[in-house]
Amino acid sequence: MDNLFIAATERSPEVTFDSAVGTLRIKGESYPEDASQVFGPIFNALQDYLVQAEGKALKVDFELIYFNSSSAKALMNMFQMLENAADVDIVVNWQFMADDETMKEFGEDFSEDLEHVTFNLVPVS
Amino acid sequence: MLAKQFRAFKSTLDERGIIFSFSGYLSEGILYSLGDALRQKMALEDTNVTTIKKVFSVFVEQSQNIIRYSAEKVQGRLDKAVELSSGMVTIGSENGRFFIVCGNTILEDDMARLKGRLEILRAMGPDELKAYYKEQLREPPDEGSRGATIGLIEIARRASAPIEFDFDRIDADRHFFCLKVSI
Repeated sequence: MDNLFIAATERSPEVTFDSAVGTLRIKGESYPEDASQVFGPIFNALQDYLVQAEGKALKVDFELIYFNSSSAKALMNMFQMLENAADVDIVVNWQFMADDETMKEFGEDFSEDLEHVTFNLVPVS
Repeated sequence: MLAKQFRAFKSTLDERGIIFSFSGYLSEGILYSLGDALRQKMALEDTNVTTIKKVFSVFVEQSQNIIRYSAEKVQGRLDKAVELSSGMVTIGSENGRFFIVCGNTILEDDMARLKGRLEILRAMGPDELKAYYKEQLREPPDEGSRGATIGLIEIARRASAPIEFDFDRIDADRHFFCLKVSI
């Protein structure tokens, strides 16, 4: 299965997906006008992984500093996709700066609907 | 005469506490550069991190609303697809708060829906806005809105006072729309 690496741009995050190990990391800022351009490739890679990942695990690390509302919407879709993959053992680590209330609150909002996914809020300083 | 005219123009902006004001065709590249300068300016003045993030977020959502919805646009292909939308973004400070105003032309047909949405948001308190945001995050987008509702809720959520908005009729088909947010 293909790995995915997308370098960060001024308005989009760095994305690293290692399908052999089962890790996805999204790091940086995300405020493109069209969020689907950034998140489309991630969705496709995840979908490919999840359909044949039965019994496997996936760790997703979010290290986001800022994202706009259309990226928030895309992130919500991603969490719904993860939640629906009931056969895969998924852990999400939501990293945020300890003094950043906004990112903490987003993490709490996203985690609310999740039952199958383990969601960790990880404050860093 | 030239210097006098433009000094008067600049003084008017300075007196209103304007940090910068952009008028003309706005692109994603301009948004990035202005946003970067805005964050640097606030950081140099030791503005608190939460405030910087709120101002920046409102600035991004306001600018992207202009890019998406301004009724004055030029589109085409140069070496890649280019979309330029005309409008105004102004950032300033007054009474110890930052303010962000956007202005752009909208079509008569879109006015009632936009006004209705903004009236709902203006009447909501922080908890209601938070709940409404969470609800909209889980909804499929409205037709043709490219994510407008969630962007406007984000703007209203970050505001420290109720949002202000106004429409000035240009002609039978168009209005000049303004939205002011204080943080």
